[in-house]
Amino acid sequence: MASELLKGFRMLDLADEKGALCGKMFADMGADVIKVEPPVGCSTRTIPPFLDDVPGPERSFYALAYHAGKRSVTANLDSADGRALLADLAATADFLVESHEVGYLDSIGLGYDELSRGNPRLIYTSIMPFGDKGPGRDYKWADIISWAAGGMMFLMGEEGKPPIQMSLPQAGLHAGAEASVASLLAHYPRQVDGRGQRVIVNMQACIVWTLMNEQAMPILHGDYLRRSGRFTGRADLRRTAVYRCKDGHISSLLGGGPVGAPSTKALVQWMIEKGFAADWMKTKEWASWVPGMFMELSDEDRFQIKDFEDRVQKFFLTMTKREIYEETLKRRILLAPVATVADIAADPQLKAREFFVDINYDTLGRTLRLPGAFAKLSETPIGPGSRAPRVGEHNRDVYCGLLGMSAGRLEELRARRAI
Amino acid sequence: MAHFALEGVHILDFAWVGVGPITSKYLADNGADVIRIESLARPDVLRIGPPWKDAKPGINSSQFFASFNTSKKGITLDLSKPKARELARRLVPWADIVVESFTPKVMRNWELDYEHLCELRRDLIMLSTCMQGQTGPNALYPGFGQLMAALSGFYYISGYSEDEPAPPYGAYSDFIAPRFSTSVLLAALDYRRRTGKGQYVDMSQYEAALHNLAPAIVDYFASGRVLGPRGNASVRYAPHGAYRCADDGEHERWIAIAVATDGQWRAMLQVLGSATRDSRFDTALKRVENRAALDELVGSLVRGHNSQELTKSLQAAGVAAYPVENCMDLHHDENLDAFGFWRWLEHKEMGHAVYEGLQHRMSRTPGDLRFAAPTLGQHNDEVFSQMLGLSAAEIDQLIKDSVIF
Repeated sequence: MASELLKGFRMLDLADEKGALCGKMFADMGADVIKVEPPVGCSTRTIPPFLDDVPGPERSFYALAYHAGKRSVTANLDSADGRALLADLAATADFLVESHEVGYLDSIGLGYDELSRGNPRLIYTSIMPFGDKGPGRDYKWADIISWAAGGMMFLMGEEGKPPIQMSLPQAGLHAGAEASVASLLAHYPRQVDGRGQRVIVNMQACIVWTLMNEQAMPILHGDYLRRSGRFTGRADLRRTAVYRCKDGHISSLLGGGPVGAPSTKALVQWMIEKGFAADWMKTKEWASWVPGMFMELSDEDRFQIKDFEDRVQKFFLTMTKREIYEETLKRRILLAPVATVADIAADPQLKAREFFVDINYDTLGRTLRLPGAFAKLSETPIGPGSRAPRVGEHNRDVYCGLLGMSAGRLEELRARRAI
Repeated sequence: MAHFALEGVHILDFAWVGVGPITSKYLADNGADVIRIESLARPDVLRIGPPWKDAKPGINSSQFFASFNTSKKGITLDLSKPKARELARRLVPWADIVVESFTPKVMRNWELDYEHLCELRRDLIMLSTCMQGQTGPNALYPGFGQLMAALSGFYYISGYSEDEPAPPYGAYSDFIAPRFSTSVLLAALDYRRRTGKGQYVDMSQYEAALHNLAPAIVDYFASGRVLGPRGNASVRYAPHGAYRCADDGEHERWIAIAVATDGQWRAMLQVLGSATRDSRFDTALKRVENRAALDELVGSLVRGHNSQELTKSLQAAGVAAYPVENCMDLHHDENLDAFGFWRWLEHKEMGHAVYEGLQHRMSRTPGDLRFAAPTLGQHNDEVFSQMLGLSAAEIDQLIKDSVIF
């Protein structure tokens, strides 16, 4: 069942991997999201890996996950007929999201100026790697380019080794979610005065925003951070952020002060019980222990930080991720396992909240399990309600049902490869 | 006069740290009136987080806090006191949206949860966002974004191998969840406009973050495959990664390159002046298979180049490339400049400083960082005397009783 939250609003989704998540979020919230694809299918359908490792337009996990709940039509924008179809569709739409090369849709008569003439209500959102003005406007893009340009890549990796990205590239996901926010920001005044607008999402800026407090450091403190593997902090004080355990890793940042002290006290208590605590740890006043950055540290401070971290490391090596996490939940210790998707799939918390949902992919003769609602709403529950569409699966529904095209004309367009 | 998208929308913001304040910042920067209630019982830890003005710590000199709280007003109440909660409740009828981000028991204990607050305003929209959601065995899990990024799988897919993890910087999931919470609040506002009904939103930052991992999750449930760390290796691009360029004094310089097609590969070799005809690299598939040797070759070809100049020549030849920018480079980046990304604001105590601007631009109702974050209690007078109509004597008494601090 589609959500009531955005029921009755239509989005045309022309975004590739730079913004597929935008239409997915709208579909989860109940909007009628129509993917407009080239006849060969959207490029996201070619992203590996594939179901059973067999490539095919209905088998990419990326497309299966991020197109759930959308409908699909085909329109060949290289043909005048295909372009006319998109213009006709845009006249019925509330939102359009796209991520073509900057200026491409304008060049074929499908830019904001043209489409808004026929539909002044339209909110037309373009996702761009570097915005519409800078020298990078026409740059070639891959996700790693945004990761590098946005500053996150420089901060990931070991000293002496190349900076890295994640195994599942993230920039297009941030940009897609930002396109959702920006489109809905424009929606609010449009529902009052009936006027849409043009929205641009800047992917580079989306990644800069993920840097938390770090972008301001060089301006205020005079230096920029270097990558340091599983450690964190600056050269004057490297702190362990990730510890090894029996079967993987644990994320924890030992601290004191008002936030960290109760947790650290609980961890030390546990270490005392198991015989891993040093004598100095047993009497330490954790509330006033704040071994942060940019602070004067005595030799004793430095010894204690290192000794504590070394002992925690030895302690964690005696247990598995799950054993550590379960105990720390009981003791309210600030810590998390470095979870794999297998750990996540088995997490009792997600089970209790019935987070994952099974969606019938009759196209594949399979049921697939997807992440469910990104929030729980009391009045209008949201979440994926149906599978991802086949390429052009809804041509007839949309072109005949919505635009009133005759069956004969549909066949004609098909024969002319316009759809 | 500027016309902002959310003019006339009122937000009462009990949130702290990352996700909640970033959500209300989206709304504030787009014209909504946001009043942040800062509670002495739960002081926002970001207020004492670096970086600080002149590198000196102080409750009103953290740019960490300032960056997440632009365009908001701030008042102070010690919500552990009944009188303070009564004052907070008096602001609820004014609010279209209430935002809070404590562990679930906190607002319930204060009787400031949705059930209580919607008695004060029937069509209230309220967002509660916490680590793992309002329900379930781990609802009270205390944590912050660094831990959540590990729990929600991002640490594991970051590294060169299982033995060499290299997690993303900072509280990564804090920068995923707000785009989900903000979207849902804006949609809920529209739903209320259509139906007159408000509602309660329970957002688990864990669950929101998992949407950035969705393909790997669907894959695991279908095939049992566990996505692991693999450095910069890709099956879609080769070369694909960061390659060391000529250093600039003490500054390490790297360039990111991604090559998808044979045409781009040949264009890249031409730009780098290489005549290699090594048969291990002559098709995209072979380049992926011989990645290690390929990276070595590209590394040696790139090493003497200036990363900025090489970016321009590779891009001119149609090859995806960009310098791997450090946090100082971002402040001199010509593309961010052209977008007008960096914004300067005048903060009451920190003075003139540069902030991250918005990541999108609207043509008709552009948002902006309207003014700098509040100092602690900066808008107490405005809110308590002008909005709630308290007299100066009453306010003095409340300060004396440490209700307002």
